[in-house]
Amino acid sequence: MQRRSFLKTAAVVGTTMAITPSVVLSDTKTNPFGITKKPRKFTVINTFDLETNDQVAKLWVPLPLDSSYQKVLKISYNGDFDEAFISNNNPYNTKLLFAKWNKNSKSRKLVVKFDIIMQERSVNFSKAKNSTMYPDDVKEFLKGTKHTPITKKLTSFAKEITKNARTPLEKAQAIFDWTVDNMYRDESVIGCGVGDASRIIDKKLFGGKCTDVSSVFVALLRNVGIPAREVFGIRLGKSMISKSCGKADANGFAKITGGQHCRAEFYLVGLGWVPADPADVTKVRKQEKLTNDDKKIKDLRKYFFGNWEMNWAAFNYARDFVLNPKPAQYPLNMLGYPYGEMDDDVLNYYAPKEFKYSYTSQEIK
Amino acid sequence: MKKLFVLFFITISLFAKEVSIKVEQMHCPLCTTMIKQAIKKVDGVTKVKVKLPTKTATVNYDETKVNIADILKAIKSTSYEGKVIK
Repeated sequence: MQRRSFLKTAAVVGTTMAITPSVVLSDTKTNPFGITKKPRKFTVINTFDLETNDQVAKLWVPLPLDSSYQKVLKISYNGDFDEAFISNNNPYNTKLLFAKWNKNSKSRKLVVKFDIIMQERSVNFSKAKNSTMYPDDVKEFLKGTKHTPITKKLTSFAKEITKNARTPLEKAQAIFDWTVDNMYRDESVIGCGVGDASRIIDKKLFGGKCTDVSSVFVALLRNVGIPAREVFGIRLGKSMISKSCGKADANGFAKITGGQHCRAEFYLVGLGWVPADPADVTKVRKQEKLTNDDKKIKDLRKYFFGNWEMNWAAFNYARDFVLNPKPAQYPLNMLGYPYGEMDDDVLNYYAPKEFKYSYTSQEIK
Repeated sequence: MKKLFVLFFITISLFAKEVSIKVEQMHCPLCTTMIKQAIKKVDGVTKVKVKLPTKTATVNYDETKVNIADILKAIKSTSYEGKVIK
């Protein structure tokens, strides 16, 4: 906890870490899209200018996680809040910035800035083992949640999809193929979608956006005993694959408000967490008016099973959890967007203009 | 003047009602915003509190202007079903 008087004058408080990716620059692997292993660095600025009124305002802002493929170089924040702190004392080790303004604050401004460096993710499936002896911290992602439950019906459904698969890798591939074949992008869905896998499968409503598609993929994997998780984050810059997967101007600057995107990972012994993105296959297919027979979609569905193009920053894996500090409304479905409350009223995170937040990103060449 | 004010207050109180409605399908914090906004639009509703942890909407209203069916209809307009519990 920190005092307002200090924070008003202290422009930068944050974390600084050295970047030592495990696989640095050595690999210049190519693919149909020309994506290389060269790390990419971005500066992201997230601003808030909340309404002033006689209510207490609280914000929970998702921050990027540190991993083998993504390092946060520095996080800073400043504003006129009464209280603010960064913490990962949350379920799923979710890192966030909490900020609070007392009622009748004259202004409610906050600027969060972070520098991040990331490297394309790619796995070599020849190293996958058939074991299902998972580490304890991975077993967490075998459990069902409210929106990605383990049920007899879903298990039976997932087993039917994987009936011809023998190994965990073959099962994961079968579920990925089923998800890409059967789900489609529905542009009318607000934001990234709710990600209610049980409802989508039960009602055979296979249209949705990235959280919907990723949640179905994750739920089906968990129902056949493969650890899996959604990864919530935001697109930062230009994609080599498609404008649908990220864009920026000639100088690498991008307005990324609304660029939240949910991907997925599953766990294979011998490989660890394997990146996947069935949702972006459906997005490119829809927005570029392609079919599954098109070469680009064939290449893309192959690429997004085991690879991530790293023009996107990962925030967290959290689903159906209670934030800390505890808000008035809970549990929270996911924290891909900033979450805010005025007393016990929830600010609509799908309406950034109304909420009054924005994101920009600058790629550092 | 004071008597008139008291009479007015009593009259208002007589018609001021409160109802608690369970909304089982409420599943995320944004649902509370959608439901609250829909109920607030109903003429005669004076106060709304929607809580996700208990999945309830507590609505204060003037029964000379609105009835419970109107409030349930407003909830239904957001694709949720409400059931009066108190």
